[in-house]
Amino acid sequence: MAAEAPLPETRTKQNSAGPALIAIAAWIVPGLGHLLLRRWTRALGFFLSVGGLVVTGYALRGEVFLGGSNDPFGALGFIADLGSGAFYFLARVLESAGPDLSRASGDYGTRLIAAAGIVNLLGVLDAYGIARGRRG
Amino acid sequence: MPGIRIQPSHFGAMMIFALLVSMAFASIGHRSFATRLRYAAVAFLLFLIIGVGIAWLMFPLSR
Repeated sequence: MAAEAPLPETRTKQNSAGPALIAIAAWIVPGLGHLLLRRWTRALGFFLSVGGLVVTGYALRGEVFLGGSNDPFGALGFIADLGSGAFYFLARVLESAGPDLSRASGDYGTRLIAAAGIVNLLGVLDAYGIARGRRG
Repeated sequence: MPGIRIQPSHFGAMMIFALLVSMAFASIGHRSFATRLRYAAVAFLLFLIIGVGIAWLMFPLSR
């Protein structure tokens, strides 16, 4: 009987590894976490909305914030932009012309890129909750 | 996107934002496709109505 005591802890560790991996997958590729959980509609919805926001933001030539900024708004912008996962790291490829903030559309693009990251972080939390069994 | 550049109007940019964010909101916490579609439509309309409402309220400040 004493040998059975460590089992719950072992079970907890095994269960906690899955949700963490799902959350990381959902962050790297928007919708991938839901895809792994077989939530097809949510996966498609998140991929299209996050991808659409990022691509539109880059087409509007919005600014992508870099890390290490001394400005608090720059740091918050970096966190928001980083939320879009792979799309953040593809910024140089997708927005090869660089940002253009001399027009209002560039400013809109900056907001859309940040919104994409925030929306993807919502998706990460949703996927993590489903993997933990807390959400439907 | 490489080579692609768009310059929508203020209202056009707001519509793109409202459409895509409404889709994301509808993807969370709704089970049936019909419920999601209805939620996305309502959220999209509310984004537009509230956006135009705020713009209308701020119009005197721009003059």
